[in-house]
Amino acid sequence: MLRAENLTKRYRQGSVTVTALEGFSYDFPPGPTAVVGPSGSGKTTLLNLLAGFDLPTEGEVELGGARLDRLGEDERAGVRLEQAGFVFQSWNLLPTLTALENVAFPLLLAGVKANERRERALALLEQVGLAGRAHHRPNQLSGGEQQRVAIARALALEPAVLFADEPTGNLDSAAGHKVLDLLLEHATGERRLVLVTHDLEIAARAERVLHLRDGRLIKIEEPAAV
Amino acid sequence: MELVLLVWRNLTARFTRSLFTWLGIAVATASMVLFLSFGEGLRQALVSEMGNFGPQIRVVAEGTDVFSPPQPELPPEMLDQIKALAPELGIRKIIPSVMLVRGGFDPTSSFIFHGLPEGADPRDFYPPAKAAAGRLDPHPDGAVVGAKKAELSRLTLGKPLRLSREVTVPVVGILEPASGLVDSLIFVPLKTLQQVLGTKNYGVFMILLDPDAKVEEVARKLEAAIPGIDAQSTNEALKFAERSLRIGDLIRFGISLVALVVGGLLVANTVMMSVYERTREFGVMRAIGARRRFIFGLVLSEALFLALAGGLAGVLAGVLGSAAINAYTQEAVGLALSAVTPRLALFSMAVALVLGLVAGLLPARGASRIPVTEALGRV
Repeated sequence: MLRAENLTKRYRQGSVTVTALEGFSYDFPPGPTAVVGPSGSGKTTLLNLLAGFDLPTEGEVELGGARLDRLGEDERAGVRLEQAGFVFQSWNLLPTLTALENVAFPLLLAGVKANERRERALALLEQVGLAGRAHHRPNQLSGGEQQRVAIARALALEPAVLFADEPTGNLDSAAGHKVLDLLLEHATGERRLVLVTHDLEIAARAERVLHLRDGRLIKIEEPAAV
Repeated sequence: MELVLLVWRNLTARFTRSLFTWLGIAVATASMVLFLSFGEGLRQALVSEMGNFGPQIRVVAEGTDVFSPPQPELPPEMLDQIKALAPELGIRKIIPSVMLVRGGFDPTSSFIFHGLPEGADPRDFYPPAKAAAGRLDPHPDGAVVGAKKAELSRLTLGKPLRLSREVTVPVVGILEPASGLVDSLIFVPLKTLQQVLGTKNYGVFMILLDPDAKVEEVARKLEAAIPGIDAQSTNEALKFAERSLRIGDLIRFGISLVALVVGGLLVANTVMMSVYERTREFGVMRAIGARRRFIFGLVLSEALFLALAGGLAGVLAGVLGSAAINAYTQEAVGLALSAVTPRLALFSMAVALVLGLVAGLLPARGASRIPVTEALGRV
């Protein structure tokens, strides 16, 4: 479950109060949901709040049955580990670890035993077509390959929600499509995918598109209408 | 992929910086090990000396400490007083003696003369003493020289040894090496040495007891019966020496603390820089689900790992340095003055680890508290 109710975030910038998000309410259904909007529309703030990276000034956010707005930092990290997977624009792999070790990292945090971690991480790399690159470090992989490793890492603990923030933003068109296909492939059944993008073509592949402007949800569209 | 592997990868990813930090801790620890090894070496040498020392009680003028050569302040009447008490107290033998120390710090030009009365020889002080050449008894007018002293000052049988302008005695015996202070002593007849010092007094009475006599009890009775003396048992001498050595240890530890603090600052700097550079990595870990204590443990482990590796290398370097020092002091004075005992090695490792812990705490705390949004640049 992923639900937001009257989600509002205000920042202090010197003596000025900036409203980054205001009154966002939405119950994310299973499947892929895209969030689009121009720069400064509140996309990143929304994702920060939905994932529990940050706390809302007002409102509620519920992830996997846990009220993130009521939890402390470490408790939110625990909920993220169990319920969410993340794919960022700049891949954010741990540079000193190999692809295999990066994918196994969430399993390490979850206390999975070494042998099982290795087996599961290898299986995930196979799913994203990178079993042959398991022992390469991130700097030995292309951007597309790094993003596929990041997807494998995000799927490691079979999360209920996948958050993807501009996942194709740093990739060429072919690699971007491959990454998007992988994400959509895994956004089936009860799993939810929150896809933040400014690219309407990419957003069109989601089942729903939420339009943000100036921190407000202004429109919800079905893909055919985009 | 365990925590240790993560720590290792992070440290080797910044190899040169980690290497210099490791070296810094190793040098700091080695310097502490070497400084403190002198105390341990002296302790060992002292215990060994006392173990081989024949007399159980040493009577000196009141106020003379264990390490100072006694001045000839005990009058001949005092010897008679002790002799009168001997049967009652279980005293088997009394060896009155004087000592004369000549020369400076250079072992080749420093001489320690020990006056022996007739009927006594070096075995009364050091029961295992044996003559390597000549005889053991310096009487009536010779000198018996310790092995190291003979080697350093090139003394051979028959060679004249000048005690003063008027008094010269020939070398009549050279002792076998004993790996102790006796190697550096020269035994001469008591009367000869008293003549050199221009006194009829004694500096010390060495007391040998019957096997069933109680050492401390006899010492206390002697002090009670004869005013103005200190009767020091071997145990008391060791206790006094231990107190002095502890003060020395504290001073040496204080000096080595400077190097240790510098080592600690190196670790803190390395770990802080590393934390600063890896802010984003920590953000990613937190985003994925790492709790604060995981990040804290990771960063602290890096500091501790550096301290542990540096400490081990430092102890090893200290052991090698101590061996080099001993090679020199054994050559110079026949004594191993430095020792890296297991307790010194453990203490040094513990200090290095505490250093790593203290140096790592602040960066670890900082790393674990960076907000995820800031660390990932998502503000």
